[in-house]
Amino acid sequence: MARAHRQRVELLQGTLDLLILRTLQWRPQHGHGISVAIRSSSQDVLQIDHGSLYPALHRLERQGWVDAEWKTTENKQRAKYYRLTAAGRRQVQTERDRWTRLTEAIARVLDPA
Amino acid sequence: MTWRRPWTLLRRRFLLRAQEDRDLDDELAFHVAEETRLRLERGASPEDAARAARLAFGSVTLAKETTRGVWVSGAMERLLQDLRFGFRILTNAPLLLLSAVTLVALVIGGNTTVYSIAHAILSKPAPGVRADNLTTVSWVRDDGFVEPETTYANYLDLAAQSRLLGPMLAQQYVRVALGHENGSYGIWAAAVSTNYFQALEVPIPLGRRFTEDENQNATSGLVVVISDRAWREYFASATSVIGAAVIVNGMPATIIGVAAPDFRGTQLAPSVDAWVPFMPFARAAGNSQTLSSRGLEEDLPHVGNFVGVLAQLRSDASLAQARAELTTLWERLQAQYALVPQNRSVTIVPYAATAGGNGPLSTQGTTFLAIFSVITVLTLVIVCANVANLLLGRATVRQRELALRQSLGASRTRVVRMLVAEGFVIALCACAAAYVFARWMTGVVATLVAPVVPPAVTQVITVPDWTVAGYALTLALGSTAFFTLAPAARAWKQPLLPWLKAGEQGVAQGRSRLSSSLVVLQLALAVLLITSAGLASRSITLFAGTDLGFDSRSILLATVNTGGGAVDQQTSATLLERLRVRLQAVPGIEDVSYSWSGPRMNVRADARRSGAVGESVVAATNYIGPDYLRVYGVMPLAGRELEFEDGRAITPAVVTQRLAQRLWPGQPAIGRRLFLGQRESEVEVVGVAPDVYFDGNRLNPNGQSGNTYVLLPSSRGLRDPGERTLYLRYQGRLDAVAPAISRAIRNEDPRVPVVRLRTFGAELEANLWPVRALTTLLTVFALMSLIVAIIGQYAVVAFDMRRRSREFGVRIALGASSRQILTAVLREGFRLTALGLAIGFGLSVLTGTGLSRVLYGITPTDPLTYGTVLLLLSLISIAACSVPAVRASRVNPISTLRQE
Repeated sequence: MARAHRQRVELLQGTLDLLILRTLQWRPQHGHGISVAIRSSSQDVLQIDHGSLYPALHRLERQGWVDAEWKTTENKQRAKYYRLTAAGRRQVQTERDRWTRLTEAIARVLDPA
Repeated sequence: MTWRRPWTLLRRRFLLRAQEDRDLDDELAFHVAEETRLRLERGASPEDAARAARLAFGSVTLAKETTRGVWVSGAMERLLQDLRFGFRILTNAPLLLLSAVTLVALVIGGNTTVYSIAHAILSKPAPGVRADNLTTVSWVRDDGFVEPETTYANYLDLAAQSRLLGPMLAQQYVRVALGHENGSYGIWAAAVSTNYFQALEVPIPLGRRFTEDENQNATSGLVVVISDRAWREYFASATSVIGAAVIVNGMPATIIGVAAPDFRGTQLAPSVDAWVPFMPFARAAGNSQTLSSRGLEEDLPHVGNFVGVLAQLRSDASLAQARAELTTLWERLQAQYALVPQNRSVTIVPYAATAGGNGPLSTQGTTFLAIFSVITVLTLVIVCANVANLLLGRATVRQRELALRQSLGASRTRVVRMLVAEGFVIALCACAAAYVFARWMTGVVATLVAPVVPPAVTQVITVPDWTVAGYALTLALGSTAFFTLAPAARAWKQPLLPWLKAGEQGVAQGRSRLSSSLVVLQLALAVLLITSAGLASRSITLFAGTDLGFDSRSILLATVNTGGGAVDQQTSATLLERLRVRLQAVPGIEDVSYSWSGPRMNVRADARRSGAVGESVVAATNYIGPDYLRVYGVMPLAGRELEFEDGRAITPAVVTQRLAQRLWPGQPAIGRRLFLGQRESEVEVVGVAPDVYFDGNRLNPNGQSGNTYVLLPSSRGLRDPGERTLYLRYQGRLDAVAPAISRAIRNEDPRVPVVRLRTFGAELEANLWPVRALTTLLTVFALMSLIVAIIGQYAVVAFDMRRRSREFGVRIALGASSRQILTAVLREGFRLTALGLAIGFGLSVLTGTGLSRVLYGITPTDPLTYGTVLLLLSLISIAACSVPAVRASRVNPISTLRQE
């Protein structure tokens, strides 16, 4: 049972990574901005758990897929902005491909032709 | 990926940790603030907005914790954490760390020193040789005996025909007298092929190298390249030395160059000061016919007859290929000339300053290294066992802590990693300490051997060596693995429950019989070494203090080389006598004599009286000049001293009284005849000398104390001119007399160099040097092993005490006094000492009996030495045991028992 639980977490984690990377493709963004962007572009369907957003961001940074930089917002506040690296850009493609394969496979299982 | 950018990680871990924590706080705070701002914009009240934002975010602390979890996930980070943990041992248990580091540093440092010296001597080129790929050619006889030499003619053929060997050079050492207008010097020279300096790639900063023309052209004179040392000391570094006329062994020669400062020949000994080309040297000496000889012939003149060969191996050829080619060439020579030795095959080995030949170094060097490696491993195992004991003791104390850690979720791997990290920290410190110690030791050894070995040797062994540093590192890492193994293994299989139940804390896991016997073994070894060192130093002190029968400080020894002024034995003997007469006139000089082999009587002979069959007495002989006994300050007991030449047919001899009594007990010896040596030459006794140790050596060649000498007149000896030693009894100040002596010799014949001038006392001290150095080394090793043994004993006793601390608590609670506890632990510790002493003394008596022949003046069971060792070891070991004993006696029964 514990194993099943862990697998589910990993699946979600991978999805979160893809969403974050995808969001950062447009422009550099801070953590709050990312969560707002995901929420609005999913038309409020996806609510990001902040307890996993920041660990994910820090992990992506350590993996070298995003870079971080402290900048000032329009409201003159210091915020940590994340930016996609070249490796990150390639990673988006890989993650997308994997996601497509996964959804197609699940779709085939759910609706056998 | 976690191994990427280790520096960034390190920085993050240790330097930027606080910064990163602050950044995370800021980042999360910004998130909440931004959320609040958005909600305010949508029209919420400030309080509602802030509350809702925090609610929406969830637990900030949890988010922080999870994020931090990401930071330490990498293997690198975990390793750093382990290391940080390991370094806590520095502050937690400094005494333990100190003992462990001392142990490992002593052993690894000591081993590294010996290894680096052996490595330097066995495999390095001589200083100043810059060529790579050099090889030594040598010849192997059918019986396996290695001949390092061939003849010049054979060398020429091999050099001309070999394709795989680049420049091939030939060389031969000769002792020569080098003279110029300022003086004459006895030095080592080498006759060499003209390509010598090119092949070794030794530069000639001043002047030039030899040319082939100088070798071939019969009319060109003798040319010399001198060493930098000779240039500075004999020619005051004058650049005008190039083209200067000198005399080499009586032959006129011209200096054409000065070799690079560090170069003194291709071997560590002898250190060469002049080089001459073969052909002109042999031509000038009038024996160029030896240069065309094919076989090694002892009775022919020396030059060109025995030459050593070195060659550069072409970069595209292997050693095996070159060996095969040389073999073909050599077999062709053997077929072509009957005189070329038929029962020898040729071989080739990589060049080192000591490679080739039959010297003990080149033949047994590798065996020595092998034996040494075994000893290294053994000592290392013992030391590692000691350190393991120390760590085991520590692990016992921490068993509960470790159990607690595991029950709180630390994995076994994690706990073991922690222990390994501690071991690693110990090894790291030990490695650094060992390196420092080894550098220092090498320096000490170099200083120790400096008086007796050529400067090249000390130069070679003090050069720092990366191979050796690598060796030390490997040893240190290997030993870490070893001594962390035991505590780690114990932690691995340790059951948790008993340790968590407080009452079980005092549970002892069977005392280690192995570690106790190991300690006994170490103590025994230390006792053996200390006793031997004690016997050796007692023996040498007694030896140096013995009465020789004469005053060695008032005799001056001047060694000269008669080769500078004489061509045969007859002229050589006359020259020596002329010098003697001349020196007698020098103010401050009372008596003068001379001998052939200096004070040492090297020639060993069996003396047998005429008419007797089979009975002989071992005696030492020397060829001496007139007034020999007078110089020693003694008078003949009967008969007379030897004269320079008494014209009689039979050789006269002076024998010591002891010899006379052994040969003719109770009868007068004068006029008697005896036979000497294998050739059975007959001599007649003309004088009996008192029993003086003429050679300063209190042991006769047989190893027993005695002085059975036969002195013969120098005019009757049969040897070519060479080095002879003058004995001068002097009065007054040495610094006034010494220059006068050199002046008088120069006035008599300026071509005769004074090779060495020293007092008899200094000569004797120099003879004792190897024994003194060995004794010092033995003492150093003995002290090292004592330290190792004592720390080992401490570790075992401390471990035992900690194991039994609950028992002590109970005993104290039941009324035992702390004194009783103290004695109990001390007794336990001293049991080991007593056993070690007993075994050690047993071994010492055995070795001592074996060594009784070299001991002087004491028995192998010298009570004073044994008593001192007994006292010393008992005191030190009681001191080592008293630390844990005192700790045991102070065990607080309440706190020990409360944990029940």
